[in-house]
Amino acid sequence: MADSPVTINSPGGQSTPASSEPTPQEQKQMEQAYAQMKRKMAMEEIGRKIKHKIMVLSGKGGVGKSTVSTGLALSLAQQGHRVGILDIDITGPNVPKMMGLDGRRLHVENKRIHPAEGHLGVKVISMAFLLEDEDTPVVWRGPIKLGAIQQFIGDVEWGELEYLIIDFPPGTSDEPLTVAQSLPDIDGMVIVTTPQQVALLDSRKSITFSESLKVPVLGVVENMSGFTVNGTAEPGTSLSIAGPGGKTLSATADSEGRFSVTLDIFKQGGGQATADEFGVPFLGALPFDPGFVRGGDDGVHRIVSEPDGPSAHAFANVVAAIQAQLSDGSDSGLEIV
Amino acid sequence: MAEPLPTLKKLERRTQDMVLTYDDGNTYTVTYDDLRHACPCAKCAPMRNEDDTSRTLRRQIEALPAEKPTVRTVGKYAVSFEWLQGCSSGIYRFERLHDLALRRDPDRGKPYVHGAW
Repeated sequence: MADSPVTINSPGGQSTPASSEPTPQEQKQMEQAYAQMKRKMAMEEIGRKIKHKIMVLSGKGGVGKSTVSTGLALSLAQQGHRVGILDIDITGPNVPKMMGLDGRRLHVENKRIHPAEGHLGVKVISMAFLLEDEDTPVVWRGPIKLGAIQQFIGDVEWGELEYLIIDFPPGTSDEPLTVAQSLPDIDGMVIVTTPQQVALLDSRKSITFSESLKVPVLGVVENMSGFTVNGTAEPGTSLSIAGPGGKTLSATADSEGRFSVTLDIFKQGGGQATADEFGVPFLGALPFDPGFVRGGDDGVHRIVSEPDGPSAHAFANVVAAIQAQLSDGSDSGLEIV
Repeated sequence: MAEPLPTLKKLERRTQDMVLTYDDGNTYTVTYDDLRHACPCAKCAPMRNEDDTSRTLRRQIEALPAEKPTVRTVGKYAVSFEWLQGCSSGIYRFERLHDLALRRDPDRGKPYVHGAW
């Protein structure tokens, strides 16, 4: 360790090299401590360079968390912000695929990891970039995961960003805890849910979890909220459509013959109910849009392929609701004495 | 139509209570016991559903030693209170604090039902 910072201070105040050589084990411990200290300083520096850090969590898998994370990032980038996504889902990373970065490798220079750039210039870091092939599972125990997450935070050259969206695996496990303890000044967390009861039960766990992390909840987003069917018929025609749960939905074709009906496939309004129950903001509902599935597979996000479509508008509304909750640096104006 | 909510400008912590000053010029005092009894978290809120459990919650709170909480803003919509003892989980929206300031029921008569949708 030629550049080791470790010297022994003599009582006379002079710094001299250690009189006896450290054992290899001691040397390794010192190197690890030095690397850890450097990483901690780097994390603090990153914390200063990134204005807003937002965690995206859900209690349950399959609610579209990565879709929401990428959608938020792209929607913010559409507004002209510099945005990054940190995909912390180590065992199932899929953000790169959604951002058109499938098969990319990370660029490392001077021991610093440089993120890949996806649609609209969004910077992306993901475990997927490190996998030899996408069929290889990552089987890591807690401490290794912890080290990888700290490396993803401390050793990445994000540059100046206005927003960093952090996408987590489902549940309330090590990952959010490690990030909350490593990255300073996290603005808050967005809880993603779908309207059905089982997802909502788990979302409530996430909200309670946020309290133990001391990270505020920015609000609840209801994903897959309703599927809108559009069609045409003779102007003025009344239609009856058999909807989910045995409900009959009615629509009337307008003067140009257009009609639309929204099917609440997974019920409706549960995200709002959870938000109300916990007294946290409801950030909005995102429609059930099969275009997200196709876009995810093709690597062209729905917001990119249809920037003025209903899904892009729904994301813009959720982003506006999040921005309304964020401190703009001038604090809330509340004086606490 | 909901009444407009004045902006809370100052929260002054005293030994047993806090003084809330709003931008409409009004000042209110809320005791810490009332504040803690109105905790909106999922553990405390169900206890207010019934009179006897509500009284139990009140007695538990009154048995706690007097202390000044640490107060933090939560986003732009709420504040949280951290106590050395007792529950610190609740996120108090500004609407809730204003209800407490006006001596109104912050639950608005709505019982807590887990998964009520």
